[in-house]
Amino acid sequence: MSTAQAPAARTLVVEDDPHLAAGLAENLRAEGYAVDTAADGRLALSWLRENSCELIVLDVMLPHLDGFTLCRTLRAGGNNTPVLFLTARGDPQDRVLGLEAGGDDYLAKPFHLEEFLLRVRAILRRWEWYRKASATPQSAVLRFGGNEVDFRAFRARSWNGAAQELTEKEAMILKVLAERPGEIVSREDLLERVWGYDVFPSTRTVDNFILRLRKRFERDPANPRHFLTVWGVGYRFLIEGGT
Amino acid sequence: MKTTRVFQITALLLVIVSVIQVGWWVYDQHDYSTQKLHDARVYYAREVAAAQALLAAGAPAEHVHELLPDVTITGGRAAPSDAIDAAFVAERYRRINQYAWESGFFLLALALCVGVIWRALRAETKVLQEQDNFLALVSHQFKTPLASLQLSLETMAKRQLSAEQSRTLIERMLADLTRMESMVSRILDSVRLERGRVDLKSEPVELATAVGRVVTQFEERARQERIALTVDVPRDLIILADPLAVDVVVRNLLENALAAVAAVSGGTVTFAARAANGEIELSVRDSGVGFRANDSAQLFKKFSRLHPGGGSSHYGTGLGLFIVRRLMQLTGGRVSAHSIGVGQGALFVLSWPAAPRQPV
Repeated sequence: MSTAQAPAARTLVVEDDPHLAAGLAENLRAEGYAVDTAADGRLALSWLRENSCELIVLDVMLPHLDGFTLCRTLRAGGNNTPVLFLTARGDPQDRVLGLEAGGDDYLAKPFHLEEFLLRVRAILRRWEWYRKASATPQSAVLRFGGNEVDFRAFRARSWNGAAQELTEKEAMILKVLAERPGEIVSREDLLERVWGYDVFPSTRTVDNFILRLRKRFERDPANPRHFLTVWGVGYRFLIEGGT
Repeated sequence: MKTTRVFQITALLLVIVSVIQVGWWVYDQHDYSTQKLHDARVYYAREVAAAQALLAAGAPAEHVHELLPDVTITGGRAAPSDAIDAAFVAERYRRINQYAWESGFFLLALALCVGVIWRALRAETKVLQEQDNFLALVSHQFKTPLASLQLSLETMAKRQLSAEQSRTLIERMLADLTRMESMVSRILDSVRLERGRVDLKSEPVELATAVGRVVTQFEERARQERIALTVDVPRDLIILADPLAVDVVVRNLLENALAAVAAVSGGTVTFAARAANGEIELSVRDSGVGFRANDSAQLFKKFSRLHPGGGSSHYGTGLGLFIVRRLMQLTGGRVSAHSIGVGQGALFVLSWPAAPRQPV
């Protein structure tokens, strides 16, 4: 049996099927995680108001409040706890819906136990890295071209004074780029560090997120000075700004 | 849905074009008839003038009348005939009328065709919608126990388990298999019932025994879920029904009631029966989640679920109550559902014809 990288990580399993909930909880416990369970969306929401955890395993079709709505509610309320969706509906459209609702990963039922555990570990590893990389006062704040980003609060103030609420993916991309200013970071690298291996089918997604960051932080998004495209490879981030 | 939208737009365009076309026909015909009437009057006036000229030139009135028979000649003067003018006007009205009726009939026939196609499309959309619902349901209802089965098996393969843990997993797997098996049966039953391919008997059935047989099988489950299950069905009530259908109907209602009560963490389920007006009524009352009063008819429709998003009946297929209603209809009985609202419990009432009294 493998040991978990974050042995004390607390997870919440939200699943209305009692057998599946019990099976998931037992396996997560066997991997060393602390596990709580909730049988419907409302119970999960009230649990999350009083408790916190490192990961939510969230079924989509739930009584009272479905998984997508629950996730959107959490994100709107500023709760950035990573979410792994479990669902019986595995078509690509639902996958996209789940990720747009603020999910970190998506697993279609029935799934392999090893794959489930792998994804749990991957999500926790990514967040562990993000937290550690934003732990000190220096690394928690990034300043460039008149913009100021607070990685811990997922907030920013852009050059024109506008307050920005960052999604966790935007913050993570910014973090990966800020760790290597001036260097070329490939799209694949960004995808691997921020999403994991096969959540998104295409590196095009990364491009869309870079466009969003340019809109937020560049004075002229059409002629970026900080988020530069390196054709055919990826991106280069410049703190001072260049062309 | 897309086909319906395309049809709506096409039909609308067709109707608009047809109405404009028909309007143009009627207008054109009106115009033509007016012109014709005018021409006829001019021509007639010329005939009258010619007759008057001939008379003035000394032609005998009889000759003039022979030559121009439509002109009235009285006292040596030619005059137009009122009857002829009236005939012109009547002809004009006849033609306009004919076109108006033909156009109206044409538009009516067109509207009927559009209506027939529209209904057919609506029916097809409904069938497609039902199939979609069915697929969504099957995917959810089967994939969840399948996921649970796979998880249990892979857990057994991956972990070192105690005998007790293994037994728990095996029991879980058997229960998952039973769930899937019962769902397959329900789906097949509903298909058979819908197509009328069932052979139902009509024989005397002792209600208390039939209910007792089903309830016994659920007593353990009720105890585990803290549900007080009471049965108050007098022994002497004999209904006229199919024994297997009664079993299925009572089982479905009891399963629903247990699920509804389990969802609110325990309560009561009560069976009661009485004879009234040649019928025998069996009521199943529960203190569970209930439903909106307006939804009672909706419940018996195929694939409708008591609680959207799964709810207490998340093991259900959305077919249970459909099967109940169909079986009751086919055996000459009725079923109705009552609740005063969500969280207020529910009451289901089954009525069968009472069996004629006969020496046992």
